[in-house]
Amino acid sequence: MKNIVIGRYVPGKGFLYDLDPRTKLIALLVLMAATFIIDELIHMAAAILLIGVILVIGRISVKRVYLGLRPLLFLLIFTFAFQILFNTQGDLLFETPLYYSPITLGLVVVIVLIWGFTKRFIKFKLLYFLATVFLSLFVLNTFTEPLVFATGTFSIYEDALEMALFIMLRLIIIVTLSTILTITTKPTDLNLGLESVLKPLKVIRVNTEEIAMIISIALRYIPTLLDEANKIMLAQASRGVDFQEGKLKEKVMQIVSLLVPMFIISFKRSDELANAMEARSFIPGHPRTRLHLLTWKTLDTVVLVVSLTLLISSISIRVFL
Amino acid sequence: MKPIIEIKDVSFAYSKQQDVLKNVNLTIQKGEWITILGHNGSGKSTLSKLLIGLLKAKTGTIHVDGIELNEDSVYDIRKKIGIVFQNPDNQFVGVTVRDDIAFGLENLQIPREEMIERIDKFSKKVDMFEYLNKEPQQLSGGQKQRVAIAGILAMKTDVIIFDESTSMLDPKGRKKILEYMKQLNDEGTTIITITHDMKEAVSSDRVVVLKHGEILKVDTSTNILRDKTTLEQSNLELLLPLELLHYMDSNNVDHQSLKDFLWASSLNV
Repeated sequence: MKNIVIGRYVPGKGFLYDLDPRTKLIALLVLMAATFIIDELIHMAAAILLIGVILVIGRISVKRVYLGLRPLLFLLIFTFAFQILFNTQGDLLFETPLYYSPITLGLVVVIVLIWGFTKRFIKFKLLYFLATVFLSLFVLNTFTEPLVFATGTFSIYEDALEMALFIMLRLIIIVTLSTILTITTKPTDLNLGLESVLKPLKVIRVNTEEIAMIISIALRYIPTLLDEANKIMLAQASRGVDFQEGKLKEKVMQIVSLLVPMFIISFKRSDELANAMEARSFIPGHPRTRLHLLTWKTLDTVVLVVSLTLLISSISIRVFL
Repeated sequence: MKPIIEIKDVSFAYSKQQDVLKNVNLTIQKGEWITILGHNGSGKSTLSKLLIGLLKAKTGTIHVDGIELNEDSVYDIRKKIGIVFQNPDNQFVGVTVRDDIAFGLENLQIPREEMIERIDKFSKKVDMFEYLNKEPQQLSGGQKQRVAIAGILAMKTDVIIFDESTSMLDPKGRKKILEYMKQLNDEGTTIITITHDMKEAVSSDRVVVLKHGEILKVDTSTNILRDKTTLEQSNLELLLPLELLHYMDSNNVDHQSLKDFLWASSLNV
């Protein structure tokens, strides 16, 4: 439970590490907006090329970015499949008949069952799933005779393919950009940056300093709470709670047996922490001086100008061309 | 000597049924080291929370450095009294050691340059200078407690309360904290230790024995430590050497019975 790798700060060197967190946050937002505005495949390719360049210059390992993307794979494939199956706009690109007969349907059921039983032994689950889907389609496509009681078609339209591709690429770009931000920025710096980027919200009476304080305390206590959860799980396991297996009802009971003590302990902890903070002259909403200062460098201005230029040019391409 | 803390007729209750503190009267002098000794539930921690205004007394007054503690003055009084709590994890506010020491200074609106100076100085004082960039989960309980002390020292308070600060530490960590207490007291800081551990009471100037919210006795540490009746009345145990002393005073001791006594009391620990 301790190694939450996704989106963790990785110490290193490079221009991404030297940038001010404010710059990185704003640039992230600007570039994200730009990816949603561009709608030509060639521009998308340019955007991906740009990210590749950032990764290379920033000396960020592609493996880390992939680790950030991995939880999204299912979502990516789901949206892709959804578009292919249900989007029927644009030119027809590919069509093939599907035959439904007891034999083909039976074979599909067998394939699915085999997949269900063997998937736990296979390392590349997603690839294996895709292979199963293709095999099923292939079976439905090939066995024409006899006893066919219905026929259907499997067809792919141009727009479907294009939409699917765009959604995938946009998701990948967004997640890659945010991964770059989190692995090159310390949580404390990120928090400071967030506080100062959110400062304009003070106009509508949002207390940004308090939000920043809450985030920094949450960051501070995540490892402590994980430790606590581990201890409680061990304690409950020693009393006979099995956290590995069980039916749905048992699973719910396991979670309850973890959550209830966690809640009680956290409340007690926060009470003591509040006392300790107050005892050290913390007054909510009062001005405080800061140990950490953010320093704006020329590099920050350059990066900000470049990303804004990209946003503006993507808007103008969309509007005028 | 000038009194720094004056507690007059203070009572406190969490609920209506039972008073946790009853008519406590105590004057603490500047530069003094005082120990508040009591069993669990004797009200000793409640007393410390009253002193820095985390709780409000039902009756009675508290003066700190001549200022009466009330809703208006509580923030000024917290600048004079620092407190190190029991659980090292629940008072570590910063993400790193440096941030944690800075927390109190940021609250006091100390300018940044001075903050950096003080952090360096006081982290050196508690031997945590090399750990300034470490995160709390990389530190032992004793080290976290030392960071807490540095955080209070950096705020330059006149009084430091140690509220069972050593009870969750191993013997080595405890010894180190006791050394710092001694050193700080020598340098003129008023120290209040709250504990049920006799060993912590030994070095202090005076000891206050609390029982069920009332002051049973106030005397010098040497007198209290010998006072078997008072300690037994408040469910506290004598230190072994002193118990031996009493035993030898009241019995005709030969070699064998001495051995028996030591054997029996070592099993009692």
